[in-house]
Amino acid sequence: MATATVSTLCATFGTHCAISHNPKPLFSQPFNLNRFHSNSYKLTFSPRSPLSPLSPLPKAADSALVQTQPGSLDPQPAQLVPVQPPSWEPGLFAVIMIGSRQYIVHPGRWIVVQRLKGANVNDKIALHKVLLVGTDTSCYIGKPIVTNAVVYATVEEQGLDPKVIVFKYKKKKHYRRNIGHRQPHTRLRINSIMGYENYPKVTMDDIKSDDSES
Amino acid sequence: MWSSNRSMSSSLGVERTKKKMNKDKIFKLAKGFRGRAKNCIRIARERVEKALQYSYRDRRNKKRDMRSLWIRRINAGTRLHGVNYGNFMHGLLKENIQLNRKVLSELSMHEPYTFKSLVDISRNAFPGNKNVVVPPRKVAF
Repeated sequence: MATATVSTLCATFGTHCAISHNPKPLFSQPFNLNRFHSNSYKLTFSPRSPLSPLSPLPKAADSALVQTQPGSLDPQPAQLVPVQPPSWEPGLFAVIMIGSRQYIVHPGRWIVVQRLKGANVNDKIALHKVLLVGTDTSCYIGKPIVTNAVVYATVEEQGLDPKVIVFKYKKKKHYRRNIGHRQPHTRLRINSIMGYENYPKVTMDDIKSDDSES
Repeated sequence: MWSSNRSMSSSLGVERTKKKMNKDKIFKLAKGFRGRAKNCIRIARERVEKALQYSYRDRRNKKRDMRSLWIRRINAGTRLHGVNYGNFMHGLLKENIQLNRKVLSELSMHEPYTFKSLVDISRNAFPGNKNVVVPPRKVAF
């Protein structure tokens, strides 16, 4: 196994294509994920930073927070509500396909995709082309899709990409064209990933037993 | 400088208005250029034109470069498990797994166990030259 991996399943997720790094404001203690920027068309790859230990399970985090809350008065802002543990498994992610492009998706974060024509703001969207679902302990590999898995998302915004100047020029031929272009996009907030439980999965135990055999 | 609406307005019979990209816009695009190319308009104009041409060309090159980067990363990830890239992709093809190279490279970096299970699936589907690629021996210091 790669020397960079730790004994626990990797708690860090690569994201791509302008996935946001701010979790939902509902959770005051963000997941202890190392955020990676991946350079598919938008951001830059950054080298893998050393893994910090896995975040405590949400229940423990919740209790820890509850203990500190009555103790501390002002340091925490007033709008903190008692946090509920996330209702999905730790380290849940999925690979979905939108507009013939694939995205790695985490619940609670947003992604930017090509403009979905029929959608208006605050529309709920169900995405059915789920190619892979993974958690901290197991993964469901779709061939090609994970049957009955759905990813629910809300349309947050239908905007335009930053302007790109398309400049065409031929030397000595008196040909110049200068065009500005803003590609329309849609920003989706991923609400949840569901429906994958009954699919055959590969768990950490299978892999560990393979390792010990070979 | 760039009279871009020549064709459009001549067909309508309207008086042509010359649109210029004025000096301010050029200097804004010339930020960070070397030497006099960021200060002097004659030189900046040339350099900015060149820069815009390069960006047009490189927007197409970026797609090629990214794909080769993903392939290199997947290759590195699979060779740790004793499989090379070609056999790995062939095995995935046989199993009808349609993850693309971008996602596979991300998984190989950040989801090692998922990636290992993918490599195992591929190896079962297409053994290939199993023993050709030997995982690097771990040397204890």
